[in-house]
Parts: sequence; structure tokens; C-alpha cells
Amino acid sequence: MSKSKKQYLLEVAGALALYTVLLVFSIVTLRAIGVGSPTPLRVVIALLPMVATVFIMLAALRFFRRMDELEKRIQLDSLALAFVGTAFITFGYGFLEIVGFPHISWFAVWPLMAVLWVIGHALARRHWHSGGSGD
Amino acid sequence: MHWPGGTGTLAAAVTNTVRDLRAEKGWSQQDLADKLSVSRQTINAIETGKYDPSLPLAFKLAKLFGKRIEQMFVPEA
Repeated sequence: MSKSKKQYLLEVAGALALYTVLLVFSIVTLRAIGVGSPTPLRVVIALLPMVATVFIMLAALRFFRRMDELEKRIQLDSLALAFVGTAFITFGYGFLEIVGFPHISWFAVWPLMAVLWVIGHALARRHWHSGGSGD
Repeated sequence: MHWPGGTGTLAAAVTNTVRDLRAEKGWSQQDLADKLSVSRQTINAIETGKYDPSLPLAFKLAKLFGKRIEQMFVPEA
């Protein structure tokens, strides 16, 4: 594993630990004060876990900047697939909701994009890395 | 496999001598990758013609081997 990937995973692990703490605190606190109308206090507590996601986003952006040029190309292909695939699926399902399909939470969008990103990355790696090692 | 939408117009239009020059030096792909601060996979993709390097990386390769870019990267007729 490359040094930059190790650093990225370390940064993300730290941010995920913070996310877990903030998420638990947010859920417990909201249960204690009750979830009624979106008062400023409830909004702030509900959004508290997002503080940790900022660190994850910054770690991801730093990781992208440190990638070598072929890996950036692979990521571009992967993200392009995730981008168009998510648009296709979310719009398609949105139209289905009009005719009675059950409503799906916004929380489902990013996992969907992530799954397509992983699939795209596997396909792109296969494309760009094929041809033998030739060492 | 083919990536949907193609891989760019330059993908198979340039041949290069990177593999031969590297072999002359007795370097592994990893050795060359380390010297250029790129991944071994990038060197492999360049040598197999799957990927054409950026101009800055091509200049670094040429400088490392003491060649001019046009001596290392040749457009296919």
C-alpha cells in the first residue's frame, strides 16, 4: 500500500471515529429533547455528525490530489460512471415514486453512488491495467 | 475490455521505447516508477501502450533516459 493511501486511510479512520461519536451524541440528544419542529437547536444537533464528514471530504480531496496521473484518469472514469449511473437510477426511481413506489430516503443516494463508484473503479482498473506486467 | 465511450483518440496512436530503454538500464518497472514518483501500474500502462503520459511526465522520462521526447514517443503512421 502506498504512503499516501495509508495516510488517507488513517485520516478517514480518525474522521469516522469522530463521526460515530457525534452521531451517537446527536441521536441520544435528539431522543432526549424530542424530535418535533425543526428548531435551531434541533437543526444544529441533527447536523452535528456532518462536522466529521467535512474531515472525510478534505481527506478524500487531498488523496485525489496526491494520486499519480493514471490513477486520476481511472478515478475520472469511475466517478463519471457513478455520476451518470446515479442520475439515471435516482431520476428513474423518482418517476416510479409518482406512480406509487415507496419513498426512499435521501440517505440512499450516496451509498448508491459509492457502489457505482466501486464498480466503475474495478472496470476502469481492468481496462487501464490490462496488458500484462511485462517486467 | 473497452471502457464505454472510448479511451481517447491518442490511446493507440503512439508507440514508445520506454520498455527497451528501461531494460537497457536494468531497471524494474517499480524502479522506474519510484524514480518518476508514479505507480508501477502507470509505467506498465505506458509501456504496453494503454496510456499516453502527460507532457510533464513524458519530459521527465526523456530527461531520465537522456533522450528527446520524439526519440521515445513516436506517432504511428
